[in-house]
Amino acid sequence: MPPARDIMAHRGDDDEVCPVCKSSRYLNPDMRFLINPECYHKMCESCVDRIFSSGPANCPVAGCHKTLRKNRFRKQTFEDINVEREVDIRRRVMQILNRREEEFDSKRAYDDFLEQREEIIANLVHGTDVAKTESDLQRYAADNMRSIRANQALEAQEASSFREQQTHEQELARLRREAARLEYENERKEMLAGREDVLSRLAAGRPGDAAAIAREGHKVLLKKSSARRSEEDRIRQKQAALRNSDARKAGQGALTTADRADESGDSGLIKGLKKIKTPEPEKPYDPFGGLIPNKRDYYTLRDHYPNSYLDPIRQDTRMQAGGYDLQEYYSRTLMEAFAGLGCFIDEEVSKREVTSTMGISRPVATEGAALAAVSSAGAPEASS
Amino acid sequence: MIEDEIYRSSSQFRLWSFTEASLKQLRATTNSVASDRVRAALRRAQDARRSATSSTTGTPAPGSDAENKAAEDKQIECLTPEEEQQVVDYYSEQIIQLGENYKPPLPTIVRATAIQYLRRFYLTNSPMTYHPKQIMPCALFLATKTDNYYLSLRQFAEGVPGQTSADDIIAPEFLVMQSLRFTFDVRHPFRGLEGGIMELRAISQGQGQPAPHFQPSQTPEDLRRALLSLSPSSATASTMNDRISRAHHSTREILKAAAQITDAYFLYTPAQIWLSAFLLADRPLAEFYLDTKLGGPIISSSNHDQNPLYALRTKLLTTLANCSALLQAYKPFASDEARMKTLKRIVGKKLYHCQNPEKANIAGQKRIPAAAAAAAAAAAGESGTSESEMERLAKKRKLERGSETTKDLFGGELVTQRTKERQMEGDQQQ
Repeated sequence: MPPARDIMAHRGDDDEVCPVCKSSRYLNPDMRFLINPECYHKMCESCVDRIFSSGPANCPVAGCHKTLRKNRFRKQTFEDINVEREVDIRRRVMQILNRREEEFDSKRAYDDFLEQREEIIANLVHGTDVAKTESDLQRYAADNMRSIRANQALEAQEASSFREQQTHEQELARLRREAARLEYENERKEMLAGREDVLSRLAAGRPGDAAAIAREGHKVLLKKSSARRSEEDRIRQKQAALRNSDARKAGQGALTTADRADESGDSGLIKGLKKIKTPEPEKPYDPFGGLIPNKRDYYTLRDHYPNSYLDPIRQDTRMQAGGYDLQEYYSRTLMEAFAGLGCFIDEEVSKREVTSTMGISRPVATEGAALAAVSSAGAPEASS
Repeated sequence: MIEDEIYRSSSQFRLWSFTEASLKQLRATTNSVASDRVRAALRRAQDARRSATSSTTGTPAPGSDAENKAAEDKQIECLTPEEEQQVVDYYSEQIIQLGENYKPPLPTIVRATAIQYLRRFYLTNSPMTYHPKQIMPCALFLATKTDNYYLSLRQFAEGVPGQTSADDIIAPEFLVMQSLRFTFDVRHPFRGLEGGIMELRAISQGQGQPAPHFQPSQTPEDLRRALLSLSPSSATASTMNDRISRAHHSTREILKAAAQITDAYFLYTPAQIWLSAFLLADRPLAEFYLDTKLGGPIISSSNHDQNPLYALRTKLLTTLANCSALLQAYKPFASDEARMKTLKRIVGKKLYHCQNPEKANIAGQKRIPAAAAAAAAAAAGESGTSESEMERLAKKRKLERGSETTKDLFGGELVTQRTKERQMEGDQQQ
């Protein structure tokens, strides 16, 4: 009943006249009322055009001195102007205070945050402490611009992925319906064909075979339908698996993009946010793990040591041509002169034996080899 | 100290370093396990012999069996760990002698490595199981390979005295490698000695670099003066250079023999070994050298609690003293008549009697491992009778196998012929 709905939609406007130009719907049935979220005063479209086309101007309603702009005018959504205003305020606050649950330490902190947000909204709606609340809100918005931006992006992404998923599901449902219809038709066709076949055979065959033919026809039908059913089952399973994997993918996408916030972490207004750990800057790679390659503790290597035996080598081109470097000899001999000078075996080995039950006297590593060798050459006694 | 860390990563430190107690215990277990096995093996061999004889005579002596066993246990007298140790020491010396047989003689380091291989091998094996006479040439040949001194096996076999073929030499090679746990790296003190002497020479010429922790306070000139002001060692030490050369030579002699034939490699690190040998050769010189590295007693008296070098020094001095004592106590077998005599008794008689018969033929075992024990037992017993016995058994086995093959390959039929026929009849009646 379109006329009735129309009436319902315009009923609020019907008995109203534009407060600015006093023209009523009776005179101008196409009249539409617009509001501006600055002061929520209602006026008709023609008034808006007339007054604000040439730029911002004061609200024409007596006593209201707000400056309005034409582009902010819009159609009223709710009948009650207070609801309209509250929704606007709520939307604005929610856009700024758009922390997500993942960003909080605990559920409790998140709940506190929700309550705080409701309080701010209520303050703004009912006009208590408006100036302070507004300034708090502005400061917060300025301080946390990046996290707000990030969270907005996240929300948009989630919404779009949700939409995508929905359309996908609808598409799937449509395909399923299509398949079901086709299948039903096929079945019907086959049944008819089978019946005709049976009839023709009955007509052609001998009277004694009637019962057998009828039974056979029935069996063929049953077999076909059962085969079809198993086929369907298979397809259905495949589709279900496909759907599941899709859903999982979507969930992963949401997770990976979540949980991003600004570096400050402490936003002043909101308590209980998670501390954001900035990873330490990576140190330059040290291939020796803190070891200084040519550092020695017992000696300082010289470039040359006087030695009547070695000195001729320094001049010998035959030696040098092969790449022999006396420096290598120096460093190796001195290294071996002191390697292990401070290792006190009686202490260290006994300590080692205490810590590891399978100490040096149990050659575990070779036990397998020893076992293998028993057959060939006999094992060392202590290992078996 | 970073050098010590590097040494700690070596296989010599990880696998082949022991305390005196653990070394002794390890040898004791090796000995007890080996003697048990030798007793068991000898008894088996005797049983085999007896069963062979009894099967021919047909009159076993049931009552005297237990008595015999007790008597045998008394008879088989195994080596003690100390005697084993003497045997190994003797054959270690023999390696040095064997090295002289070649032209040119094998380098000291090859012989030293071979000696260490032999000593490591006999930590987990007993001379009763594997006679050192077989293992010794193999260890030396292995050492020529690991120390990069190439000799072909034929060349090598020519140098080994007696009727030793090339095959005999390499037969126990895998066994030796396995007992070495495939760690072929032996850290010798020889090169370390060269390094120390090299540095002392540099100091004597005023070119010595002080150790890193004394870097700013000491100058090369200080070191030189300190070295020259050392008390002259004993005899007419003409110049510092001569003195160092003499100390070098005598240290090397100690390292060549005493350090090899004793347990020094198991108990001490190469650096400690050469320094304690150096202490024996020229005490003032060695102490001076240590002081340049670890600081003299002047530093230690001031604040020795905080100074880690002081703790290191005191500990090191006792360790070096112990090691010196060990090296000094060494006497070669040739110089000691009494020891030589006891050794001859051990090797000649005792070892001959308690040699494990099952391991006697390493080369043979390698080829046919399963039959080795039986072959050894057969070889021990009277060959004629046991051989005929074995032949008889083999024939019997063959006969059994032959009768089996005449039957159906997959066994008899499951349904016998008669039941089959009955079934056929039943079908026809239907």
